[in-house]
Amino acid sequence: MIETKGLTKYFGGFRALDRVSFEVHRGEVVGFLGPNGAGKSTTMRILSCFISATSGLAKVHGLDAFEEPLEVRRKLGYLPQRAPLYGEMTVWDYLRFCADMRGLDLSTFRSRMKKIVEVCGLARVLGKDIRTLSHGFRQRVGLGQALVHDPPILILDEPTSDLDPNERAEVIRYIHETGKNRTILLSTHNLNEVEAVCARAIIVSKGRVVADGPLDQIKAISGKVRYLMSVDGARTSAAAKSYREASKPPTAQECHSVIRAVPGVQAIKELPSEGTIHRFELRASDKSDLRAELFQLALQKGWVLIELRRETETLEEAFKALTRDDERADRGRLARDVEEAFSPTEDEDEDEDEDEDEDAESADAEDDEEDARAKTDELAKPAATSAAAKTKPSDDAEKGDEDEDEDEEADEEESDEEHDDSEDEDEDEDEDEDEEADEKPAAKPGSSSIAKTSPAASPKAQKKD
Amino acid sequence: MSPTITIAKRELRSSFDTPAPYVVLCLGLPVVGLFFFFYDGGFWQANRASMGSLVTIASRFMAIVAAVLTMRVMADERRTGTLEMLITLPVKDHQVVLGKFLGTWLVVLTAVGVTLLFPLMMFKWPWNLGVLDWGPVLSGYLGLVLASAASVSIGMLISSLTESQVIAFFVTLTVLVVLHTTKMYVDRIDTQWLRKPIEFISFDSRLDSLSRGLITTRDLLYFVSISILCLMASFRALERRKWA
Repeated sequence: MIETKGLTKYFGGFRALDRVSFEVHRGEVVGFLGPNGAGKSTTMRILSCFISATSGLAKVHGLDAFEEPLEVRRKLGYLPQRAPLYGEMTVWDYLRFCADMRGLDLSTFRSRMKKIVEVCGLARVLGKDIRTLSHGFRQRVGLGQALVHDPPILILDEPTSDLDPNERAEVIRYIHETGKNRTILLSTHNLNEVEAVCARAIIVSKGRVVADGPLDQIKAISGKVRYLMSVDGARTSAAAKSYREASKPPTAQECHSVIRAVPGVQAIKELPSEGTIHRFELRASDKSDLRAELFQLALQKGWVLIELRRETETLEEAFKALTRDDERADRGRLARDVEEAFSPTEDEDEDEDEDEDEDAESADAEDDEEDARAKTDELAKPAATSAAAKTKPSDDAEKGDEDEDEDEEADEEESDEEHDDSEDEDEDEDEDEDEEADEKPAAKPGSSSIAKTSPAASPKAQKKD
Repeated sequence: MSPTITIAKRELRSSFDTPAPYVVLCLGLPVVGLFFFFYDGGFWQANRASMGSLVTIASRFMAIVAAVLTMRVMADERRTGTLEMLITLPVKDHQVVLGKFLGTWLVVLTAVGVTLLFPLMMFKWPWNLGVLDWGPVLSGYLGLVLASAASVSIGMLISSLTESQVIAFFVTLTVLVVLHTTKMYVDRIDTQWLRKPIEFISFDSRLDSLSRGLITTRDLLYFVSISILCLMASFRALERRKWA
């Protein structure tokens, strides 16, 4: 129903979209995600024929958005960001105006309105001026406007931004309701909403599609799972007492270091404790199941195990991992250059800190672990470059950044897991090298559609090289 | 109903839903009357049953009204984003421009039409000051109708080039004032080649001959072609969003 192929858009010299290709099929509700400025609204504006793409193809309902804008708009219900409406009109007049513009006659309009008023909850405000309405109601009116001609396709640009939680839940409910027999492309920042209504998500970052697939698949993109483990810090188990009289309830540090040592645990983070209960979040590969080991460990140590849970990564984690790279490149590069120039030894200190500081947040721990993993992977790549980057990171700071520049294009599919937002920016040069090696194993669990992005990126990388 | 008419209707309604046009009319008409009767001797000094000066004064009034009304037409829609909502309805760009032009023009025409109250009240009812030759009055108002179309389209063009209403208002007002008043200083220019074109673009010299009852295709075409030119330019300005 919606199809884009190699959609590219330049605003002056700024590339807002870079060969965006995706498809939305009939009856699908697809979440269109990405950080601010990733190109979501631009894509939607091109699809709704408000602006034109610099190159590439955008098709809605089989019609080319450039060639037949009027036909496309007839098939489309579109809600722009922030639902801009004419404030001086009443809700009824406004919807009537939209219906007139779409050539609906009065009787059809009235019968449609019955449904819309019910679905969007507009009964109370029909006679009110739009400017007096709360933002939530404006969004509903905007949604009503998009539904007035009963379109087969809906494009909604952040329909839930600026709403309070109740309103948000309502709007989501409407979308869910209307989505039963429509194709919907929905952009939002709120990932819970995506999980509530969408079966599939497309994630864009800096104008490129970085992931496209069912939610489960996107969540699994990092190839890791989370374990939640809670241990009572006030008691020991009865079994332990019988044969180890001296056993004391474990402290948080004890638990931390013992669990950290379990083979397979890649990272551990202590969560805020509930009273005497120590809670930990663990990361491990999704290929194995550590629950049995963890249970055995607790038994052996005489801990009272309160909770042990294994779950896939949240969508939020996946989203962060997929988009953080570009974000950080945007924000941090300049700052990092300056920092490196002035404090050349800082990175070493930080490395030490990380090794010692077991309580460092999992981000750091993960980086540690990645380093470890990367070292084994180093066999797979030219060692010289990484060695150079490692031995004199400060001298090569600039050079490293240039490398990064070039890598960035190719890095998109590997961005899935590696970059964590820690302060150790100096490590990035290493990481970038590492990732090249890492990406292959990491990308495997991702499906075909996720891997799809790599051919799009690789030609450019080659070109740049 | 065609989208053009729908848009024009909406413009008209939303204009008259706000107090602005009523305030403009209620305060503007007395001012027009003041100028007409007392400025520079005014109607009584002329000692003739002529409405010539009314057309000139009404054209100034019209210029201000046009500048006020057109400033929000495009600029405000762009700023608030309602333009996106409007254009993503199944409507062609030129229908948007035309619809908005028609809606605004009709409001300006109302303001112009209301000044017809002066001759009507003076020579028909309740007062009857004598016999008035209605021909020049009507031809003068024909000129005003066309001049207002030209003014509105100029205002729309400027409004569609900026997002700021204030800028749109002042630029439009300046352009219109210059176009209206060139006749006042054209006499001081000695250079012939400079004088001719300035006289040519002056609204006043054309309205003058029309208000004396002289209808020439040159004058009519002048206003019509300004309107068409500016509307086409604002259509281009609207289309520019696609590529910029």
